[in-house]
Amino acid sequence: MKSAVQDYEAIKTAVRTAANAHGEPQWFVDRRLAAIDAMQELALPEMQRYDFHRWPLMGNVELSFRDSDKHLADGLPKATNQIRFVQVGQTTVAVNLPADLADQGVILTDIFSAFRNHADLAKKYFMTQVTQYNENKLTAYQQAFLNAGIFLYVPKGVEIKQPIEAYLIQDSTVKQAMVSHVLIIAEENSQFSFIQHLTTRGDEANAAHCMVEVVSGTNSHVHFSSVDELGANTYSFLHRRANLANDARFDWAIGIANDQNTLGDITSELIGEGSHSESKVVAITTGKQSNGLNNRVVNRGKHTTANISQRGVLLEKSELVFNGIGNIIHGASGANAEQENRVLMMSHEAHGDANPILLIDEDDVIAGHAASAGQVDQNQLYYLMSRGIDKELAQRLVIRGFLGPVLEEIPLKEVRREMIGVIERKLKDGQHFE
Amino acid sequence: MATLEVKDLHVSVKEEKSQTREILKGVNLSMKTGEIHAIMGPNGTGKSTLAQTIMGNSAYHVTQGDILLNGESLLEMPVDERARKGLFLGMQYPAEIKGVTNAEFLRAAINARRPEDDQISVMAFLKELDKNLDLLDMSKEMTERYLNEDFSGGEKKRNEILQLLMIKPSFALLDEIDSGLDIDALQVVAKGVNSMRGDDFGSLIITHYQRLLNYIVPDVVHVMMDGRIVKSGDAELAKKLENEGYAGLRDELGLKVNLVDDNR
Repeated sequence: MKSAVQDYEAIKTAVRTAANAHGEPQWFVDRRLAAIDAMQELALPEMQRYDFHRWPLMGNVELSFRDSDKHLADGLPKATNQIRFVQVGQTTVAVNLPADLADQGVILTDIFSAFRNHADLAKKYFMTQVTQYNENKLTAYQQAFLNAGIFLYVPKGVEIKQPIEAYLIQDSTVKQAMVSHVLIIAEENSQFSFIQHLTTRGDEANAAHCMVEVVSGTNSHVHFSSVDELGANTYSFLHRRANLANDARFDWAIGIANDQNTLGDITSELIGEGSHSESKVVAITTGKQSNGLNNRVVNRGKHTTANISQRGVLLEKSELVFNGIGNIIHGASGANAEQENRVLMMSHEAHGDANPILLIDEDDVIAGHAASAGQVDQNQLYYLMSRGIDKELAQRLVIRGFLGPVLEEIPLKEVRREMIGVIERKLKDGQHFE
Repeated sequence: MATLEVKDLHVSVKEEKSQTREILKGVNLSMKTGEIHAIMGPNGTGKSTLAQTIMGNSAYHVTQGDILLNGESLLEMPVDERARKGLFLGMQYPAEIKGVTNAEFLRAAINARRPEDDQISVMAFLKELDKNLDLLDMSKEMTERYLNEDFSGGEKKRNEILQLLMIKPSFALLDEIDSGLDIDALQVVAKGVNSMRGDDFGSLIITHYQRLLNYIVPDVVHVMMDGRIVKSGDAELAKKLENEGYAGLRDELGLKVNLVDDNR
């Protein structure tokens, strides 16, 4: 027991030293230390019908900073006039923000610069409103060992036409956890879309904690997309949450195609009256990997609308669990929550589950759900193959048809195309080993 | 000239409680490109089983005999390979596939027959497509819809024939392509099949009704009962059957076969 306490004091000392050396403001160093204290007491989050307790998510309790090789970002699509942010490991490689947007007060910067230069905003919003650091052991870990991330602030009434693209590249050429945070603040009446790309370079076994917090202000319109392609040696925890104020519209469009186990937790809190959120996820699993994905919408405000639509494809011996959680809080009259969760198993050894979970504490609501877990339709495969199309392509066509209803509704063409590309790549990999 | 031969073919299906039932009990058939053969027969006699087995549907198990395309056995060949070797099956109940457009599917089917470095150009594809749509009196809009998704029965059958015209197989097995069609649609389907007639095309048309054969005149007519071909002849045989019924032929041949249609 004594040695555990010594260890923990030693960890705190080491984190304080590293954070100070990193030039972090005192308020944030204090928050790190408070989070380490909290970690001792907190439990891992619970996920229904899914167990991830043995995953190596928190093996790394050392805070350190290093420069990554910028060339690890080579090969990204060419920037054509776009707003982009590129980070390799902890090193910010590029920030392109047009001058007119900066003049209007838009801030796009790495998270530690935001702590120093925009402390008022960062202090107010970083893990205080959308997510609390002391919700569970993983959220506390996030605050304690944060080592990368982005800060985006869009002021009142600012509309950004082009999507803001962020490339977050995990540097696994070295042994170090990725603890990354995307904090997005959309002020009243602002409008923009944000596209995030997660990838891994290098083969070291590292965890990735990728958190997203979105503050959707009154009547703001924000669209968040993520294309997740973390590597085969990366266990990941993807925590993504948005709070919606009155009449805010906020949508998720997420493609999960990581190559290792993934725990996903996506939440929209519809706090303001008349707010609306669409939460769309497609996921594909291969090999022996296991993905557990919670997609939760919470209707708190009156006349709020929150829809979930998830589709997953399983190959080989993989496992995929979709929990669709619709929670309508007492008082949220006129709320509307529909959800659809479907998984398609391409192999007899795959294990898929789609669980609709409705927690409704208000009478005057409309809520519905549909779920299915099934095998690929042999009749469809036979039909395609009877026209000379080989089995692999026939499977991919059937899968594309299955994912179509979710993919089609992704408004940004580029994202849709990229997701289809990522899915096809992973399908080809999965089929290769069949 | 291509040949398709069925030799002493016995086929079983697995039924519930792992019982098997023999459906085809020794079918012999030989055809060449340039010929149209029709197979007629009462319900439940194995006509569709024969077509599905030639195509390679895994629900049907060959227990004896062989199927040869140009002298090569098809039995160990997967469905897609049989198709690329020149077989086509126009299905009674075509599958619906969401998310894949008809046009995209047709291109994939054509390209499956061509080498990687010689895929059909968009221009050539569209030209051929337009020509065939015209022939079948189909709108261009049909090709942008998802494959058979929410198609009417008649639209599905037309779409089968459109695929036939685009893919240009050596042998087309047409399984009750006439069922559920009104006379106008039937004529369109017949027009499509007739446009394929020539030295490089053969067809095996399975039908329950003689009506279709007024529009696609067969060179050879076979009658199937109880898993065997019991009589073959020319187009006149179909007409005779229409007048006398299957029961008449059965009694004439002295067969002890129970016809499903007898209960009517």
